[in-house]
Amino acid sequence: MTSSTPSKISPPVTPNNATDPIYEPAFDTVDIGLIVVDSAGRIVAWNDWMARTSKRSTAEVLGKDFFDVFPKARTTRLPSVIEDAFQVGSSSLLTHTLNSLLPLRLDDGGELLHNIIVRPVPTAESNYCLLQVTDVTAAVTRERVLRERQNARYHAIVDSAPDAIITVDADQNIQWVNGAVDRVLGYDQTELIGQKLSFLLQSEDTLVRLLAEGTIEQQDKRAVSVVGRYKNGTFGHFEISLGRWGADQRNFVTTIWRDVSERVNAESALSDARDALQKSNEELEDRVNERTREREVALRQLHESQKMESIGQLTGGVAHDFNNLLAVILGSLSLLKKALPDDPRISRLLDRAMQGAERGATLTTRLLAFARRQELKIEVVSLQTLIPEMLDFLRHSVGPNIVIHAEVMPDVDPVAVDANQLELALINLAVNARDAMPHGGSLTIACHNEENAGSAGLPPGSLVCITVTDTGEGMSEETLARAQEPFFTTKGVGKGTGLGLSMVHGFTAQSGGAMRLQSQRGEGTTVTMWLPRAKHGEKPASSEIRPAAPELSRRLRVLLVDDDVLVSMGAADMLLDLGHSVTEAQSGGQALKLLDSDPLFDIVVTDYAMPGMNGLELAQRIKELHPKLPIILATGYAELPSDRPIEFEHLSKPYTSAHLASALEKAFIGVGPA
Amino acid sequence: MTADIGELTHTEQDALAEIANMGVSRAASSLRQMVGEQVLLSVPSVRIVTRAAAAKLVERDNAKKLVAVQQSFEGPFAGRALLIFPEAQSLELVRSILGDEHTLEDVIDLEHEALAETGNIILNGCLATIANVLHRTMRMSLPSIVRGDGAALFDVDGPASGAQFVLFLYIDFNIKTRDVHGFIALLMDLPSIATLKAIVNDFIHAIEDQSPRHAE
Repeated sequence: MTSSTPSKISPPVTPNNATDPIYEPAFDTVDIGLIVVDSAGRIVAWNDWMARTSKRSTAEVLGKDFFDVFPKARTTRLPSVIEDAFQVGSSSLLTHTLNSLLPLRLDDGGELLHNIIVRPVPTAESNYCLLQVTDVTAAVTRERVLRERQNARYHAIVDSAPDAIITVDADQNIQWVNGAVDRVLGYDQTELIGQKLSFLLQSEDTLVRLLAEGTIEQQDKRAVSVVGRYKNGTFGHFEISLGRWGADQRNFVTTIWRDVSERVNAESALSDARDALQKSNEELEDRVNERTREREVALRQLHESQKMESIGQLTGGVAHDFNNLLAVILGSLSLLKKALPDDPRISRLLDRAMQGAERGATLTTRLLAFARRQELKIEVVSLQTLIPEMLDFLRHSVGPNIVIHAEVMPDVDPVAVDANQLELALINLAVNARDAMPHGGSLTIACHNEENAGSAGLPPGSLVCITVTDTGEGMSEETLARAQEPFFTTKGVGKGTGLGLSMVHGFTAQSGGAMRLQSQRGEGTTVTMWLPRAKHGEKPASSEIRPAAPELSRRLRVLLVDDDVLVSMGAADMLLDLGHSVTEAQSGGQALKLLDSDPLFDIVVTDYAMPGMNGLELAQRIKELHPKLPIILATGYAELPSDRPIEFEHLSKPYTSAHLASALEKAFIGVGPA
Repeated sequence: MTADIGELTHTEQDALAEIANMGVSRAASSLRQMVGEQVLLSVPSVRIVTRAAAAKLVERDNAKKLVAVQQSFEGPFAGRALLIFPEAQSLELVRSILGDEHTLEDVIDLEHEALAETGNIILNGCLATIANVLHRTMRMSLPSIVRGDGAALFDVDGPASGAQFVLFLYIDFNIKTRDVHGFIALLMDLPSIATLKAIVNDFIHAIEDQSPRHAE
């Protein structure tokens, strides 16, 4: 249809008379765009608003095909909605939100945002389609400005927040996230939008329940602890605060996710450390208890050793006095035997008396050994030599029912001890073992170099260990505890002295070693002796026998010094009997005076233990004054200082006339004839 | 066809479902053109129910807050057409149409317009297809947005509610891998329902006459 008139609306379109003086100005005055197309798609009306915004005058477009005027609109929904309006009478709405519509401009040249409503306009003659174009630019701009203004502060906060902020709708679909989700959880923003919130949770827990139950009125004050899922598949601890809000009659919950994994892990580590501390406290307590027990044991041992020490001192003192008495008895008896006529009956009585006294002397020797007051002749002893040499004797002592094994390795070092005492100790142990094995058994003597000297209660220094083990009946704890006390014995009355283990104990202690007993009822007994190793370079004493000294034939003038008159008299008698002359002095001072007045003494025999000046001090004074005068020290026990060698001949008390003669000879020869 | 106005025979149900699917597929192609993505719409079932029953049906999953796009129509039969979603789902639908680049505020701001246009497309599609298929013309109003529960949408407590029935269609959307479930409801009075059924039966007979193979 072509229009012959220049009117805005072509004649066929004007059911109400298009040239109406009211309709026409009104049509051009409205503030929306109005376009009418006919069923063939041609523009039949086009108001001023359209002319202004499209820069196409009414005259220019009337009668033209709508899509020739707006060719790009062919790709929009417009063709189909216009067709539907004609075909089925449908009305359509096309919004700027979902569609890109016509190329319209504002007066300032800016883009004009618009919606289009397409409606059918049926008339009596024909059907038309009305397009109403509404300008929404101002509204959209206003909304945007308003929102930007409202949201500027909000965005400043949420976009710079260190915590992940996630908004979900009532169905727990994630609707919005802030930029921190990437840093906190590892997800890109677009990955999360539209997902269910449970996607970020390890399990559908408290949070999901809270969100489902909550209403906008009830605000949750407290943070919810959840285990969240990082994008890398691992899990972390989060505290989530909830903020409920509504928009456009819709409920949302904004969740703020704070990653507290570090804190939770630190707390867990702290708790572990606390547990460990408590454990170590308990261990410490255990250790303290153990140490307390050890200390109690040590104290008990100390008490035991103090007791032994007291008993030793007591025993030593008694033995000393007995020794002196026995010396007098023995000396007197030996002189008496010489003096009396050779009568067998008298001789037998004297012999019995002397045997008794000698047994007494043996007893005191053992007592002294226990009291560690025995005089020890320290020498270098090779165990490889000593033990095999003793075996015959030991076998003889224990009898045929008991088999003795000796295990002395060639590398065992020699020991520095008194060989005789060591032999005695081994004999004592062998006899004890025999008594513990009345029906036979075996006895093992073994030696090795002790590597743990200084520890386990052993004295410091290099030690050699000798163990003597039997397969006997063993000892009860009670017996074991008392076994080392002197005179304690399990043997029947009269069968033993009770001094065997005491002697071994005293011997090892005095030698600088130690002894230990291990035994259990029915399990046999092991006695372990630790003895000091000989210093490097010391050679075992040769068993070479010294050539007998030529008998002393001279008659000597002897100065005899002893504070005990009885002992002095006995000794004087022996010296006289040996054919020497004797001058007695009761003290060191008296002896020096005598020497001063009469320098012609051949020899001095002095007791050691004297009040005031002792025998050793006297001997040293005499040596200074009369260097060539021989001196003999008579000692009952190890009173002599052990730190330096004694340069004087000495004589163990009690001694017999023969011992005295031998000592005189040695002393005299050692110094040389005066 | 039975005397009971409130019931559809299997054949009528199938025919209406077929017409509805033609309508929504037409709408789907419009949406696809607009969104630039694959859009799938389908109507799995059709039934006629009372308004009260319809009000209950739309409150599925206890979602009482609903949003609907409403258009009225006039022609051989008249009434109101409603496209209904649970409120939370409608936002997802709009977001899927608008795209993920929009913020939540954008989506909320634009929801109204976008939903109105989307609903308009779908309802026009259905009504236009019915009109086309039945070779009738109808006048349809512009869309408006209604919010409320099922009773409010179907005006259950309103006058003469007992006289009105609802042609009730389930509709499933699948856009950009998102699934949104909604409903289409055509609210009509008894004469309109009767007319619709008569027209549908004409349609069925016409098809049976044209193509016996196609007969059910």
